[in-house]
Amino acid sequence: MNAFAIFAAALAATPPLVALVPLLPLLAALAIAFRLLRGHGEAQEAVTAGVATAAALGALLLLLVLDLAALVREAAAVTILDDWLHIGAVPVRLSFILDAYSLPIATLVALIAWIALRFSATYLHRERGFGRFFLGMCLFLAGMLLIVLAGNAVLAFVGWELAGFSSWLLIGYAWERPVATGNALFVFLTNRIGDAGFLLGIGLATWSASTVEWTGLAEQAGNGSLTTVTLRLLLIGFTVAALTKSAQLPFSPWIARALEGPTPSSAVFYGSLLVHAGVYLLCRLQGALVQVPDLMTLLAVLGLATACYGGLCALVQSDVKSALIFATVAQVGLMVLFCGLGLFWLAALHLGLHAAWRAYQFLLAPAYMHLVHGPAKPVPHWLARRRWWYTAALQRFWIEPLTHGLLTRPTLLLGRDARALDERFIDPLVGAPRPDEAGGDEWATDELIRGHGLAGRALFAFADRLQILESRLLLSGDGALMKHLQRLVNYADAVEQLLEQPRYLMLMVMATLVVIL
Amino acid sequence: MVELTNYPLLSVLLALPVFGALFSAACRRAPWAQWIALGSAALTLLCALLVLLAFDSGNPTFQLVEAGTWIGGLNIAYRVGVDGISLLFLPATALLFGGAVVASWRVTATGAPLAPGLYFALLLLLEAATLGIFCALDGILFLFCWEATLVPLYLLVSLWGPGGGRQTAAVRYFLIMLAGGVPLLLGMLTLVFAHAKGGAPVFALPTLLATPLPEGAQYAVFLLLLLGFGVKVPLVPLHTWLPSMAMGAPAAITALLVGLKLGAYGLIRFAIPLAPLAARELHWLLAGVGAVAILYGGVAALAQSNLRGVLAYLSLAHVGLVVLGLSTFSVSALQGVLLLLLNFSVSAGSAFLVLALLQRRTGSTDIARLGGAMRNMPLLSGFFLFFGLAGIGLPGTSGFPAELLIVVAALHSHTGAGLAALFGTILAAAAFLAPFRQAFFGPPSPELATAEDLLPRELALLLPSSALILAIGWYPRPVLELLRPTAEAWVAALAGL
Repeated sequence: MNAFAIFAAALAATPPLVALVPLLPLLAALAIAFRLLRGHGEAQEAVTAGVATAAALGALLLLLVLDLAALVREAAAVTILDDWLHIGAVPVRLSFILDAYSLPIATLVALIAWIALRFSATYLHRERGFGRFFLGMCLFLAGMLLIVLAGNAVLAFVGWELAGFSSWLLIGYAWERPVATGNALFVFLTNRIGDAGFLLGIGLATWSASTVEWTGLAEQAGNGSLTTVTLRLLLIGFTVAALTKSAQLPFSPWIARALEGPTPSSAVFYGSLLVHAGVYLLCRLQGALVQVPDLMTLLAVLGLATACYGGLCALVQSDVKSALIFATVAQVGLMVLFCGLGLFWLAALHLGLHAAWRAYQFLLAPAYMHLVHGPAKPVPHWLARRRWWYTAALQRFWIEPLTHGLLTRPTLLLGRDARALDERFIDPLVGAPRPDEAGGDEWATDELIRGHGLAGRALFAFADRLQILESRLLLSGDGALMKHLQRLVNYADAVEQLLEQPRYLMLMVMATLVVIL
Repeated sequence: MVELTNYPLLSVLLALPVFGALFSAACRRAPWAQWIALGSAALTLLCALLVLLAFDSGNPTFQLVEAGTWIGGLNIAYRVGVDGISLLFLPATALLFGGAVVASWRVTATGAPLAPGLYFALLLLLEAATLGIFCALDGILFLFCWEATLVPLYLLVSLWGPGGGRQTAAVRYFLIMLAGGVPLLLGMLTLVFAHAKGGAPVFALPTLLATPLPEGAQYAVFLLLLLGFGVKVPLVPLHTWLPSMAMGAPAAITALLVGLKLGAYGLIRFAIPLAPLAARELHWLLAGVGAVAILYGGVAALAQSNLRGVLAYLSLAHVGLVVLGLSTFSVSALQGVLLLLLNFSVSAGSAFLVLALLQRRTGSTDIARLGGAMRNMPLLSGFFLFFGLAGIGLPGTSGFPAELLIVVAALHSHTGAGLAALFGTILAAAAFLAPFRQAFFGPPSPELATAEDLLPRELALLLPSSALILAIGWYPRPVLELLRPTAEAWVAALAGL
């Protein structure tokens, strides 16, 4: 046996090591969290940064070994370590997929994250929350590597949410500024819509295809064992997730708000890595997607629309980071367009090149003013002349106010109504008090006992009536009935007014939908 | 190794807090009473862990059963035992009560000067009654423990609650729970008399489970029990006692009130298996009630002005998810439900304990009066965030596998309600993170300038529950496999009719 054969045999045994790749940053995050608990987060910056950087470097080196093994093997591999849990009879495995899509992108992710971490160690020197930043970055790196390497939907979802949560953590890095935390909340909630879509996809996959493995799903979609309706619904779930994460229309507005975090985190999150996760998900699902042509058409249309939207908005931005982010959105729109046209390999290629280039640009952004001589380019002439287009681009096509008016505000108003319903109707009905507002000592009143709530009052009223009946044997009917009727009419009026509000109409439509389903 | 099953572990488990209560009530000096209470809470936790160790996970029947005659003429017995459904509630209860003892350190009554020993004695009595509910295998013993939780709770809230409304809150809670007890008792009696058919009444749960009722009687029993347990769960629209108690009770007691889902346990243990035909026919009712609770709780939590109110309404959304999971009658959903209840006891209970610690520092959990609390209390804020995230089911915490199992099963059996649950996940995230931002982020308020961060003692209290949440979140399989045989038996009993 020659040396090369031994080397090849050793390489062939490497695939199970892939589990270590997302685990290393995760352990680093845990270690940093422990240091924060003991109050060491800010003091010894070098240790904190060192742990994070070492984890990223370790993941990168491991991935390089795995790449080499894949080159020698010349075939894709799926590594299954153990069962994570069972949903009924469907196992959810700790499986990782090593193929031409996952390995190069994972390597790129680890490389960019490593560079960004090295960069941040100096960029954030002596900042408050140094430890918190590296905690967020390590969580993000673990999540992103999990998305890319996961062999099934559930594991990818774990990464998906970890990445989303760490982005909340880092956008709200400067937590004393209300704008930053407000934007963090906005971004997290928008992404949560995509997460709900992802869960829908997982649920439908579980009971229609009896598998959540990417390979199994593609197989089942390919041999036609799924009905078109379930396949379409399932893919709609995953597509919503992909579109949200990649900031495609109509979910685009979140990404412009996501730039509040420190520059290195913006660079890796929105500039180069996280924003591509959606495109990567589409590539993963290509086997199933090609079976549903109308969804592919939708993807192409949305991708094209986002590319135009991003391009137009990028032209009118007045700061470097915003201009870069809209340019990024436009490029990602092109990738989605490629996916819609069935050119998944081209989308993946574009993804890799674009990620590398944007990471460089974003890390350079703080120093841009020093590097560029001469004034910034004005808005192009053709756009400046078309006033409507110009305004629309400046206002980012009014998507945000629209969603706020149609979605956020009605929900908050509903919350207020629910509270009012509790306080004004249900509480008096069952007689529950509100100690926070009631105040005062009710025991001080001179009555012996007092009835509360509908039941209590009814009992007391009944007792009163009985007493009247007992003492006088007469009915007191002068006008009392009319008064009650008048009151009833007032209530009915109030209810009708409430029902006329658009949010209740929407609610009724939604309820009807739920009942029909 | 010593054969654990030979010892009367459950009786010891129930007796430990009772003895602790007696000793700490008798104790004149405050510090001693506290240490006695902490000691007996710790011993109870140890005993609960021994039960876990003695439990044979492959066996779906009741284990560690002990029986003794109580009221011979009526066939009422002291009969206790555990199975996979009740097993995990025992250590969770013990853990939560231990936390409550630590969080109530140096508690003082609001009105009259009372011996602190009394407070801890009542707390331990409440623990004994709660553990009794989970162990009882006899209908009357169960009802006894059920009602026995009310007295200590009433006294604890009315004597030690903060603010002026505490007495009315306590009275109303007592009355509402008693009112809820009426349909429960009626249902239990209907059940027993339908079984007896002229002979001696039967109260033993295993016997009742083995012999199903005629269909007509099942509807009556199911609806009565659903109503009775629904008050405690609480289900919309019977829920308003929960937010009002969450704000009126002493902070550590709210952790117990919200964290321990006795009503949900009652539904799983009694209402559904005792009236299986009716439960299966009325699955739409359960799913509907669950979906309404998820949406209502999520939406109403958005409008709260107090952190305790936020958590109370979020817990409403949680039990909605539990009821929705139950309505699917599938093994995976039941596993998810039990895991969710465990996660909920630990995470929501701990979140309320953190609020108790916050209240002691700032005097309030009103969102408007906090703001920027992160500056002085980064660890406290961090733990509150962590427990809240476990509540909304972030992957990596034990909430995630539970929610995943329930939502997937619900999408299968009640697609509309499943979609409502998905929408609920978005609402819950908004309802938790928006108030979190207002209370903990932003420019620090001057009122909080002197507040100090967590003490080592408090840190030690929160670390075990955090470790538990993380461990189950990253590797849920052992726990789920522990629950599987019982869950399978539960579903098979329903399906076999």
